[in-house]
Amino acid sequence: MHETELNDLSDDADYAASLQQGSASMTRSDSSRRSSSSEPDGAEVVYLKDNVTIHPTQYASERISGRLKLIKQGASLFITWIPYKGQSSNAKLSERDKNLYTIRAVPFTEIRSIRRHTPTLGWQYIIVVLSSGLAFPPLYFYNGGVREFLATIKQHIFLVRSAEDANVFVVNDFQDPLQRTLSSLELPRAVPVANGRSSSLSASESPTDKNQVRADGVAVDGSLSSIQNNGRQRQKMHDPARDLSIHVLEKFSLVTRFARETTSQLFRENHSEGFGGNERRNHSQSSHDYHQNAASIDVEKVPDEVPVAPDPLEKSPCSNRGEEAATNVGTFELIDSKEIDKLTVWGKPRQPPLGPEEWATFLDSEGRVTDEKALRKRIFYGGVENNLRKEVWTFLLGYHAHDSTYAEREYLVLIKKSEYETIKNQWQSITQDQAKRFTKFRERRGLIEKDVVRTDRSLSFYEGDDNPNVNLLRDILLTYSFYNFDLGYCQGMSDLLSPILFIMKDESESFWCFVSLMERLGPNFNRDQNGMHSQLFALSKLVELLDVPLHNYFKQNDCLNYFFCFRWILIQFKREFEYERTLRLWEVLWTHHLSEHLHLYVCVAILKRYRRKIMGEQMDFDTLLKFINELSGQIDLDAILKDAEALCICAGEHGAASIPPGTPPSLPLDTGLLYAQQDDEVL
Amino acid sequence: MPSRRRTLLKVIILGDSGVGKTSLMNQYVNRKFSNQYKATIGADFLTKEVQFEDRLFTLQIWDTAGQERFQSLGVAFYRGADCCVLVYDVNVMKSFENLNNWREEFLIQASPSDPENFPFVVLGNKVDVDGGNSRVVSEKKARAWCASKGNIPYFETSAKEGINVEDAFQCIAKDALKSGDDEEIYLPDTIDVASSSQQRSTGCEC
Ligand SMILES: Nc1nc2c(ncn2[C@@H]2O[C@H](COP(=O)(O)OP(=O)(O)OP(=O)(O)O)[C@@H](O)[C@H]2O)c(=O)[nH]1
Ligand SMILES: [Mg+2]
Repeated sequence: MHETELNDLSDDADYAASLQQGSASMTRSDSSRRSSSSEPDGAEVVYLKDNVTIHPTQYASERISGRLKLIKQGASLFITWIPYKGQSSNAKLSERDKNLYTIRAVPFTEIRSIRRHTPTLGWQYIIVVLSSGLAFPPLYFYNGGVREFLATIKQHIFLVRSAEDANVFVVNDFQDPLQRTLSSLELPRAVPVANGRSSSLSASESPTDKNQVRADGVAVDGSLSSIQNNGRQRQKMHDPARDLSIHVLEKFSLVTRFARETTSQLFRENHSEGFGGNERRNHSQSSHDYHQNAASIDVEKVPDEVPVAPDPLEKSPCSNRGEEAATNVGTFELIDSKEIDKLTVWGKPRQPPLGPEEWATFLDSEGRVTDEKALRKRIFYGGVENNLRKEVWTFLLGYHAHDSTYAEREYLVLIKKSEYETIKNQWQSITQDQAKRFTKFRERRGLIEKDVVRTDRSLSFYEGDDNPNVNLLRDILLTYSFYNFDLGYCQGMSDLLSPILFIMKDESESFWCFVSLMERLGPNFNRDQNGMHSQLFALSKLVELLDVPLHNYFKQNDCLNYFFCFRWILIQFKREFEYERTLRLWEVLWTHHLSEHLHLYVCVAILKRYRRKIMGEQMDFDTLLKFINELSGQIDLDAILKDAEALCICAGEHGAASIPPGTPPSLPLDTGLLYAQQDDEVL
Repeated sequence: MPSRRRTLLKVIILGDSGVGKTSLMNQYVNRKFSNQYKATIGADFLTKEVQFEDRLFTLQIWDTAGQERFQSLGVAFYRGADCCVLVYDVNVMKSFENLNNWREEFLIQASPSDPENFPFVVLGNKVDVDGGNSRVVSEKKARAWCASKGNIPYFETSAKEGINVEDAFQCIAKDALKSGDDEEIYLPDTIDVASSSQQRSTGCEC
């Protein structure tokens, strides 16, 4: 069974006991015993369920099981989900990885809704959606109990089933303004524990002796600790200032009808500025040496107006967008100049693209790539000449194996061609009459047809009426939707296919290269948007690691969902650069040199370039989204790639640890049901 | 009662993929149509100044992606909307049938304070196609649905030909403005939970 080991977060004794009981029964003695070590005073566990599991990837070996609890303290209800210690069957899943997903005492005031999925086949699961719009990954109830879970919540807070969707339960959604106001009054009471989400419920020894406060009185931000320590070294603090602000909040909420919104706004601000400091001071210095060096360019909070402390990576606001002359290209100064050790990392200068002669040196006489790693590295720094792409991309995408010979590849191409024809024939043989009774097919085809005529039509390769290449896009996408019927077609796929067809020209070859690409990026298009959420989540962790002030700014301005980067990630910056530049970026990303997730560092690099503008102009969510959308065509790719490289090196293993396992485009390790949970969608 | 009104009116355009949301928005704001718009990914918005009774307002028009899979993003975009425009393609039955889903999904995600009276406007787009010969949803049918949902104003439009687009958005802006009147943006002196029950007429006089 699961081995247990002691730590300050878990409740392994309980866990072992409950394993024997095999049920979620909860006794008073359990909670009182626990309260001495981990639960805050007066907190009561009102619901407990073991073997509630998340599936970060589609691989069974990477699932993380844990214990789900509802905890009541005063009038507030909290949800926690703590992964079991030391139970992982997979060494790849470090404790750190698990801790990424840990849900620490999130108050229901921060929860917007809970969506329940109770498929007839397979496990029941829930998705908890936060007010911010972010969602936790699906929690699978291996032992059932979703209904009981919801019933318990209902006993303690106001939970209504959505009139529109019987599987959605909306939290605190009062139609009646009076109730609404009343509910908001509960919010301040939630503050002490909410703020101490890390502290109250995971309290341990007092680390006061390790306090780390900078001389200027600004606490060194311990954001990394959320990855590293996960509250182990935090403690419950009784800060009078905090209590005072809670008091003010309470007063404030009495006088306004819109207390709910306003209070949560205030709450967020206080949470990040005032309360955060308590937390920050509690981290041991040793665990933050790296962090201070790498990320604390400027830990002061962002003032309400300019000036914003400059970041060496950012784009000077007075220089023209898209021009690099004015900035210190590729330099990344990692620390505040006030700090002692100066550490500077440079992204290496870009090289000319790989040409035919050099390419020949990578191949042996029979056509095998002898040094795959060297090849990837070479392409990482310079890309590939256009006329070589058709050949080289097949390796980068994993369609052809590096150790395959010319002859083997020729053979494979033939086999694959007939395989493609077979799948294509499946939909081609659907007669008009048959299609009349095949709604799913008609709708899917309709969606694809609508999208291919809107894909890169200004490019000569796709322009004009009745362009045969547009028809090829349609045929390949429709065939793909039969190849992977569960995933089907989703908008954005035509953007991903377009450059591939443009390079490969051949229909079957394009299809198989697209299949390879979708093995990595398919989760971007999952119905539950899991792949996107995990990438946006990882991005927020990376910004937190690499640019604390910017992270705090996003936090204060309700931008932590990073939806403004959605398009970047979904289609790999396809709409952000000129066509040729996109090809270059993609081949660099596909090398997986340094990181599989370089694209996330590219996001950070772009954000850092414009951080002064973003913070200086006090952009709110809307303005930021518009700003980001309009950056399209303005970004200097080479400069950004250099920055991204530097950031990736700086972040090192801490960066890697910020990215949950299985975050796209992580390559599959074994096969399984990839898109199993999508049966409830038409397309 | 409140005298300080909002000057930013937020409008959300929803509807199935390909019904012409992006085209309508661009036709209204930029007065042009291009068949090279790309499928919308994520969301974007355009703004336009509108004038009512000597006062200027900024209409912020949000254009979102039509595919169902992206709807979970809605939470972030729908918040604070003053009016929701539901678009369907008169030549595609499914896009009409889905109006109800769009309406409901919007109400869930935006959770307006007064869902019963939240202003919607419905547009039946692409009336130009094939001289109207390929249309499958009759005006009568569409109007009946609108009537059943609390007299939602209805317009038949063509983003391509610019038919009725201006009128439709005039109505949209007016409705958004009325919706905005209901909410106050300053703090009253005392708790005032009753004032939001003011009646607002549904429908549109334009
Ligand atoms: N004939 C005609 N075609 C139109 C009209 N409006 C849009 N179209 C075309 O319909 C297709 C879809 O239009 P879009 O405006 O991109 O549709 P959308 O609703 O924004 O679609 P998504 O972004 O995918 O949600 C495009 O090829 C447009 O050229 C119209 O009024 N008449
Ligand atoms: Mg669009």
